[in-house]
Formats: sequence, structure tokens, C-alpha cells
Amino acid sequence: MPETVQLFITCLIDSFFPHIGEAMVRVLNRAGVRVEFPAGQTCCGQPAFNAGLRAEARPMAEQTIRVFEQTTGDIVIPSGSCAAMIRHGYLELFRDDLPWLERAQALAGRVFELTEYLVDVRGVTDLGARWPGRLTYHPSCHLLRGLGVDRQPRLLLAAVQDAEIVELPEREDCCGFGGVFSVEHPELSAEFLKRKIANLEKTEAPALVVADTGCLMHIQGGLTRQGKPQRVVHIAEVLSHR
Amino acid sequence: MKTENFRQRIRRSLANETLQLALDANAARRKASRQVAFASLPDIQERRARAHTVKAEIVAHLEDYLTEFIRQVEANGIHVHRAANSAEAVKQVLALVQEAKSAPGHGLPDEPLIVAKSKSMVSEEIELNHALEAAGCRVVETDLGEYIVQLRGERPAHIITPAVHLRRQEVGALFAEKLGIPYTEDIPTLTDTARKVLREVFLNAQVGISGVNFGVVESGTLCLVTNEGNGRMVTTLPPVHIALMGIERLVPTLDDLALSLSLLPRSATGQKLSVYTSLLHAPLPGQTRHLILLDNGRLALRASPLAESLYCIRCGACLNACPVFRELGGHAYGSIYPGPIGSVISSALVDPQFDYLAQASSLCGACREVCPVDIDLPGLLLRVRAGGSPRRTQGDTKVREQREAEQREGAGIPLPVKVGLKSFRLAASIPRLFAVLQTLGGILTHLLSPRRAYLHLPAWTGWGYSKDFPRLAVRPFRARWQDVEQEVAEGHREQRTEGSEQGERREDEAEVGLIERFVQEVTALGGKVEQISAGELPARLQAFLAEAGAAQALTDDMTAPLLGEAAVRRPDPAIPVGVTGALCAIAETGSLVLVSGAGETLTASLLPPFHAVILKASQIVPTVAEALARPEVRHARAGVIITGPSRTADIEMTLTIGVHGPGKLVVFLVDDW
Repeated sequence: MPETVQLFITCLIDSFFPHIGEAMVRVLNRAGVRVEFPAGQTCCGQPAFNAGLRAEARPMAEQTIRVFEQTTGDIVIPSGSCAAMIRHGYLELFRDDLPWLERAQALAGRVFELTEYLVDVRGVTDLGARWPGRLTYHPSCHLLRGLGVDRQPRLLLAAVQDAEIVELPEREDCCGFGGVFSVEHPELSAEFLKRKIANLEKTEAPALVVADTGCLMHIQGGLTRQGKPQRVVHIAEVLSHR
Repeated sequence: MKTENFRQRIRRSLANETLQLALDANAARRKASRQVAFASLPDIQERRARAHTVKAEIVAHLEDYLTEFIRQVEANGIHVHRAANSAEAVKQVLALVQEAKSAPGHGLPDEPLIVAKSKSMVSEEIELNHALEAAGCRVVETDLGEYIVQLRGERPAHIITPAVHLRRQEVGALFAEKLGIPYTEDIPTLTDTARKVLREVFLNAQVGISGVNFGVVESGTLCLVTNEGNGRMVTTLPPVHIALMGIERLVPTLDDLALSLSLLPRSATGQKLSVYTSLLHAPLPGQTRHLILLDNGRLALRASPLAESLYCIRCGACLNACPVFRELGGHAYGSIYPGPIGSVISSALVDPQFDYLAQASSLCGACREVCPVDIDLPGLLLRVRAGGSPRRTQGDTKVREQREAEQREGAGIPLPVKVGLKSFRLAASIPRLFAVLQTLGGILTHLLSPRRAYLHLPAWTGWGYSKDFPRLAVRPFRARWQDVEQEVAEGHREQRTEGSEQGERREDEAEVGLIERFVQEVTALGGKVEQISAGELPARLQAFLAEAGAAQALTDDMTAPLLGEAAVRRPDPAIPVGVTGALCAIAETGSLVLVSGAGETLTASLLPPFHAVILKASQIVPTVAEALARPEVRHARAGVIITGPSRTADIEMTLTIGVHGPGKLVVFLVDDW
């Protein structure tokens, strides 16, 4: 019997980039995993939490916990940032509320970011994907430093046929999104973005791979504004491509 | 309104090209040097975890450790004063300075008293210089970087590299204007000019003021690390030494100190050990030593959700790693503590208004990654944003009320953003409403931008400042799910278990003998080791004196007989050569450990530009911890660990050898005698 996982799609992919969600389901299916989608999910509460508005973040976190408590099995998330929110952020959010903390801990133990799930849990690196051309990978901060996930997306990308993977200079530097940060301090955010795009250009890759939609819409938004031809793709899009 | 000012400061920093160049260079060099320094420490993660535990223990039982520390420090003959806030600390320093002024030995009563200061962030925190100058003192900062910013009438732009924001041209112009030398961009010339001016200050100062990097509870040791030698001058030469220290800067044992010393210089300047690690116990003969222990909001921090910020050892690594600091530099923060750590502690230690600094972070976590004590800085920034900064009880009611209003969650966030997030929460609480709004958003954004997938938003929205905004999908994922589910998995299973790729990366470092390792390290630092037999020693010493053009040398008890008539036993700054022995030497860092008590070792190893050390091969120990475990270290009035020749990198981070301490260091390693 195939393994069944719960999909936490994240509000950004749900609202802005549903095709990434579809790609992710295909990727999981190819890895031999059956996917369920709990309908009551919306947002994990990270935007409010990161802004310091914990009273606003709490109901969203409680709702997420309630929705997924009614399911079993691993929860897979196509975003390092949202996965880190549930794994680490919820423990902080509920640290003074023992009953909720226990529920948050139980949920945290079930949560995996997509590439982490594929490589560490399923033991898969080659999904039979093919992507002709040059690719470079930007490790998003919360995936890289928040979850310590870096080896996994690299292994997955290395197995993509016909793809030439090149190293992004200063790869570990933040792209400048940071949620509310990019709206509140646009001048600073713009500087990070400028540098990220300059580094992308150095690779001469037509596509930048990310595993987080926040970085995706930020960097793509910058490229579009500057009229640059490069595009940003989610790793699920690459892994589902044939 | 304060936030408005902050944004203006941000814009000013971004528009300052010189600053941007300097900050980019700082980020790149510090990152590289830190990486090299930590490459020699295979167990860095374990050390970080241990250091974190050590500091957690200190902070958890702070009063107990303080009590014991004070007992030890007083037993060593140092006067201890506790200050609850900056006003008290300033008052205590002023009283001590007055006392020094009326002491015999000080010249005319009307002459300004000279206070020589070595770098101390606590003194910046309490704005001490200003108070001392108002009291008629001549205060001179003696760290090169601090001296430069003092001459410019500025405050430090970085807690480790005060003049990080300046390039050599600006320093050249400054020295030409203030010190009357011909304009030059030559960094060694600039450094040497400062050396000469400051030498006079050291020799004539009645009071020396320093900070403290670590206080060791079990021994009452005040540990101070510097590279230029000014810290040693300030704590050795003036008749009165006042050390300023935050109450949290403790470690329980000398062993914990060794651990901390393996992390601090590596994180701060990329060195295995700073050039001079002073270990101060009793005052030197004829000297009075005071320690002022400052609270100034630290106990309040300890009682707040930000207690972990008290683990900080002020290495500045988080500043160098921070992409926001890289854009702003220190001054734009407005607080004397900039960067990620500054954005956490400034509200508690400097001014409650600084809560808004925590908003200026993308939460990228680069700070935590480099923190040598593994402080969860992004987590603490989030707590500041959630209103976690301690409240101040002092001050008038108005301030307090305002403060309490700010205490509410999301302090410092602009109203539109707050309203936006609240509305989003309301929408997200009801999945059906959420779905409807998603579709409406999809339709609206497609109407606004029928062809392009990204919309052009105006700059004032924040988002539109540098980037376009993606259209929402008319059919969000939740609406597509039914279709997606229909798609049958293609039964294309390729499960390949991938073996553990984590190759053992530990390079098997070849067993390097202690002597070999020591020689390697000293040489790498720019020192020299000559391995000779005992019989050769007198001739080699004569040659060393000749090289320096000296007829005499400052000596200590051990070396005086070797030099016979050429030996001088008083600290005469005119003699260019010092010849001393050492208690022991450290192979892993190429260091020499010197302690007072055997004559004038401390001054002979500090004042002259040439320093020779006579060492027996059997005196070399492998690690800093083993050197610190020697009972002589604990029982000396003062000691110093010397790691290479005196140096600075305060101007454009260009290494210059020979500042206040010796620029030339030779070790005569004698097999045995």
C-alpha cells in the first residue's frame, strides 16, 4: 500500500502559483506517495508571527493544528519557511500554553519540507525528471538555516537529466524578501535583491531554482520589474518536468 | 516618528558610496578570515554548544556568580563598585578620577588630568567620555580605530572595528588636519603617527580606563583581549586603572575562559588568539585597580524573554554576517550597539525607542549561524517585535505610558501593514471566505494586468519599490484539487536508496610535534623562532641588540644575568629592546605566556619595539586550556598571553604590524640548559 501524506499547500502557492502545487503532487506521486489535501487549511500564520503580531498569528496556528490533527501521516510542505514556522515557530508561539504546546509539538514531528521528505524520508533522489539547460539554485534562508536542508535539494537537482547545475555566487545570501520586511524596509530589501540578481546574471543560467515561494515571487518580481529574461522556478516544477 | 528618522538614516547610508564600498569590503574580508580561523577548530559546533551552556548557567544564577566573583576580585586587591545604571557608573568613575587628581604625583592642580582609554563598549553605553571631558579631563581613546572616530567627533561604527566606515583617504585627511602631519594615504605611516602621539598619552596618563572581555569567577581574573597593545598599556602604566564591565560578562572557570578564548578572537577578527590576552588579578606595585560592574538594564533583560541576549560575548560576528548591517553600517542604527545583537539589546540597555530596530531584519538567520555562543538571534528579534523588551520602571509617567503602548505586539510596524495583516487573519480564519477572496483577487489582478503575470505597483506601496507583484490565480489550488486528485499516479516508481553521502571530512591532521607546531604558528603570525643551543644564546642576544641599534635592553629576573651590564631593570621607554623569559608557550596558537612577579616582564615585553623571548623547548604546552591551568597564572598579579607581534587592522582592515606593543617578536628556543 502506498504511503499517504497530507499536503499543506501554503497560502502563497494556493493563491498565486497553483501550478506549483500541481507539480508537487505529480512529484510525490512519482515517488510512490499518495496525496491528500485537507480542505480547511489556509495560512500557517507566519506573516503575522514574523511581524510580532502574535495575537493574530495564534488563531491561524490553532486552525492549522486543528485541521491537520484530524489527519494521519506525514505532512509535506513545498516551502522551507512555512515548514520552519510549524516546526520551530509554533513551539515559540505556544511556549506559555502547555495544552496547545503539546498539540503543536505533535504536529511539528509530522512536518517535512518537500525536498527533505523526498530524500530523507522516502530515500529518493532521482525522479526521472528532465530539464534541458542551465540551472542554478538559491537556498532560501529558512530552508537552509532554519531547517538545515541543503544537501537534499542539491541531490535532487543533480539527478535531473540534461540539466547543467551551476553554483550561484554568494548563494547563501538572503534575497531580501523576509515577508513584511520587504514592504516595511523596501530600500534595504531592494539592495539584497539587486545583489541576488547580479549574482544570478553571473551564472548565465536562464532559470533560478528555489524551494520557497516567498523568494520566488520576490526575485521574479524584481526580474520582471527590471525587464530581465531570467525566470525563477520552484524545485517542484523542475522535478516534475520531463 | 522615530521610525521615520530611521528610514532617513537608512537612505543616507545607502546613498553614501564610500560607506558602501567600506562595508562590502568588511563583509567579504571578515567572512573569509572567520572561515579560515575556524578551519583549525574541528569541533566548532560542540564548542558553540558548550559556550552556550556555560553562559546559560551564568545568566541563570547571575547573582550567585556575581557574589563569588566580587569576593575573588576583592581578595585579589581590586576595589569593586556596582552601578545600577549609567548615571551611577559615571558618578563612580568621576569620583575615582577626582581622587587620582588629588593624589600626590599629579602635577599642577589646574592641569587637565589625562585619561587613557582602551576600547570599551560599556563606556560608550554610559557615554563616559562626554562626562569626563565635562569634568575637565583630557580623554584619549587609544585603540587606533577608536582614536580615529574620537578625532572625528563620532562614535564607533562597529563594536570591533570602530572606523569600519572610513577609507584611508579620510583618515589621511583627518590626521593632516588634527595632527598636523603632511597628508598621506600610507597606512603604516598613519599608524605610526598615532603610535607616537599615543605613546606620550600612555606615559603621562594618571588614569587608565578599559573594558573587560571576560571575568573569571573562580579566580577573579579580569581578562582583556587587544591586538595593538593599548589595552596592556592602559592597564599597566597609569597609577590608577579602572575597568568597566557588564555584570553578565562572566565565565565560571579558567577552563571556560580557554573555551571562550578559542571562540572570541576567531569570531571577531579571524585570529586563533588576539595578540595580547591580559589576565589581571592584583594591582601592580604602585598601582590601584578598580572594577565597576554595570547593570544598566541587564537584570531587566535577564527577567525578560530576551535573557539569551546576555550570553553575548561582543565579538561582532553577527554584524559582519548581517546583510542589513552590510548596507547600513553602525551609525544608521542610532544605538551604540548596532547589528542583530544591537537590535535586540538596545531597547533595554540604551533607549526604549530602539524597539523599531528589530523590524529591520529579513530574519535570514546568518547572524545565528556565525554566533559563537549560538544565540538564537532571529528568535530574539521576533520576541522584540512581539513586545518582549523589558519595561523600564524609571523615568516619568509619560515615558512609561508611551512605553507601555509600544509594548503591545507589533511595536514599530506601520499601521497599513498592521491593518493588512489583521484583515488577512480574518479572511484566513474562514476557509470558504478565503477561497472566495482568492478568486476575487485573481479576477481583480487579471483585470488590472490582463497580459503580464506581474503587476506594476507604485513605490509607495513598499512592494512596488523595486519589484512587481504577481497576479493571484483565478482558480486557486484548492479549487483545482478535485482535478488534481483525478490524475492517477503514473506508477513510475523509481526508488533508489541513496547511501550516506556525508563523507567524513575530517582531515587527518598529521601528528605535528609540539615544537614544530609552535614554530609554524609563530611564523604564520609574523614572529620568528630561532632554535639554538644554550651556548649560542649570549652571542645571539648581542646580535639582536645590534640589529635594533641598542646598547641596552629591558630585562626581567630571568634574562638580566644573561645580558650582564646591558641589562636594565626599570621601565625606560627610550630603550628599544626587551628581553624576557616566559612562563610557558602554547603550541596551538603560537603564544607566549608571561606573568608578572619575575621582575619587569610585563613592561619589558610591551614598551620596546623589539621583543625577544627566551624559551626552553620543554616549556611548550599544547593548548590554551593547559596554559591557563598553570597555578602561576592564577597567582600572578597580572599576566599576558602574547600571540604574535602587535598589530592593527583598523584602517580599511589592512594589517599593520607594530602598534603600541613590539612590532618585532623573536623567540630564542633553547633545547635545554
